[in-house]
Amino acid sequence: MTGYAPGAIVLWAICALFILIPLASFLAYSFLPVVDNAIVYEPTLDNFANLFSNSSYRTTFLRTMLLAFEVSVFNFVLGYATAYFIWRRPPAWRNVLVIALAIPLLMSYIIKIYAMRGVLGTNGLLNSALLAFGLADEPVSALLFNLTAVRITLSVVLLPFMVLPICVALERITPQVLQAAADLGASEIQTFRWVILPLSLPGAIVGAMFTFVLASGDFLAPELVGGIEGFTFGRLVFSQFGLAFNWPLGAALSVLLLVVALAVISVARRLSNPRWQT
Amino acid sequence: MFRSLEWKLAAALVLATGTQASAQEVRLFSFEGYSEPEWVEPFTEATGCEVSVAYTGSVDEMFAKMVGSDGADYDLVSIDTSIVERYLDQGLIIPFDMSQIPNTSNLLPSFSSVAEVMSGGETYGVPIAWGSLGLIYDKEAFPDGVDSWEALWSPENAGHVLALDDANNNVTNAAIVLGLEDPFNLSDADFDAVKMKLIEQKQYLISYYAGFEEGVNMWDSSEATLMFSMGEFQTVELANRGYDVVYSIPDEGGIGWLDTWALSKGVEDSECAHQWVNHYLDGETGPAMTAKNGYGNTTNESPGLDYADKLVWLRPVEDFDRRVSVWNEVKAAQ
Repeated sequence: MTGYAPGAIVLWAICALFILIPLASFLAYSFLPVVDNAIVYEPTLDNFANLFSNSSYRTTFLRTMLLAFEVSVFNFVLGYATAYFIWRRPPAWRNVLVIALAIPLLMSYIIKIYAMRGVLGTNGLLNSALLAFGLADEPVSALLFNLTAVRITLSVVLLPFMVLPICVALERITPQVLQAAADLGASEIQTFRWVILPLSLPGAIVGAMFTFVLASGDFLAPELVGGIEGFTFGRLVFSQFGLAFNWPLGAALSVLLLVVALAVISVARRLSNPRWQT
Repeated sequence: MFRSLEWKLAAALVLATGTQASAQEVRLFSFEGYSEPEWVEPFTEATGCEVSVAYTGSVDEMFAKMVGSDGADYDLVSIDTSIVERYLDQGLIIPFDMSQIPNTSNLLPSFSSVAEVMSGGETYGVPIAWGSLGLIYDKEAFPDGVDSWEALWSPENAGHVLALDDANNNVTNAAIVLGLEDPFNLSDADFDAVKMKLIEQKQYLISYYAGFEEGVNMWDSSEATLMFSMGEFQTVELANRGYDVVYSIPDEGGIGWLDTWALSKGVEDSECAHQWVNHYLDGETGPAMTAKNGYGNTTNESPGLDYADKLVWLRPVEDFDRRVSVWNEVKAAQ
């Protein structure tokens, strides 16, 4: 088919207007200097030089990548188990569970983080439970205002992004395939290892990609539950825009984050669809 | 637990929805505690001007938002006298028409001719409240009181300390704690010492907080017993939640601030903005604010605020951007 359908042109226009142009303006900003609180329109590489030479930016970046990786790995396991559990329920139950899992996505992100603070705090739900069941003698303060709290909060908040793609992948496995495996004498474990897991892995990889990209750019959870350990790259970017009024440096930091996100997406894309491998 | 926060949100919502219908409105961008129903409602009744409020978490955030929008989003900002010059340099504020603010005659002598708010014979800031950045401690944990800031650097108190997330105030306070001669004009060596001091403190902190309410919320969900406070208002909020706390200015001294209303360059309803400032100096609003939120006011005596002589009043600093970047390095340090 040659030529473009009108619909495609509209979609490209929307894409350009709301995604490509804002991103391009970011890229442009990252090459501008700030002098006396004003952005000067004389292109320079100073922001990137600053970005790569400043050791505190580097360590913050690496720490944040590690954090996002940990959350992704943890959610990969937790999310797969949850999705598998949902998939094995009767179809009516399955829908209820998937909807229940998706409902938090409609809630405000900041409310969810505050809710997690209510759960993790010294006077919180988790500590009350630990005390009530005699698992602790006094409230555990180590649950909140540190990196562990950020890991827990991000894992909980981002779990739907992991579970839903895996559910979709599991749904696509037809009963005939499982019957064939059983007919050929495969045990349940063998069926899982050689049939179910390979067929659902692309969904899990997509979920891990979502989790990593969202976790690596997040700045609210680290600020609200991370305490002094929670200074992540996202907060560094935020502070350039929201506190220091250095948009160009903030833009340069964001460009680095964007490059990492694109790299992760392209790797995930290759891994998740074997037919694209060359 | 969120009683007062809900109250404020509800008030802000009611006020905000009112503004949709009315053309007359004043848009405030300020710290918490300057727009309570006790004086907002009489104002709206008297003038027909609605009041909408946006709260800020720190001095830095306020400046960045004003620069970012070129002042277009707000009519009045609550800025302290030390920072008026920075706003002036950026052309973010414009002078008041003092003939529209006759109540300035009610200002106490010490607030009626503040040099920092004047420039070229024009008035750029009208003083409305003063207070300090003191130390809050839990009475039960410290029955003998706390008389030095060093308590916030003490291993004994590790895991019980909160500090605010604000570049200039942290740098200045650390300079005061270190006993540096001029906390507003630091040398390179001073900057290094301040940075080391602030990094050293991190191991004892639970968290930094941004905003009055956020500090109180963190106190509520942690084992905090000490806090580098944003101001008297937090003691009021903590007491409301049942905490037995004391507000004190330690022996080294503490930061004192004098907040003013300043007129944004992007002001839309200039008349309402002037009327709001005038209303603030009517002799009733000030005492009401002192009674409710614990800030000193500028028109009447402020009972309970007896530590003014221990305060180091904020002045313009040598290099604000450098302070912001030092603060970022402190926060990023491990």
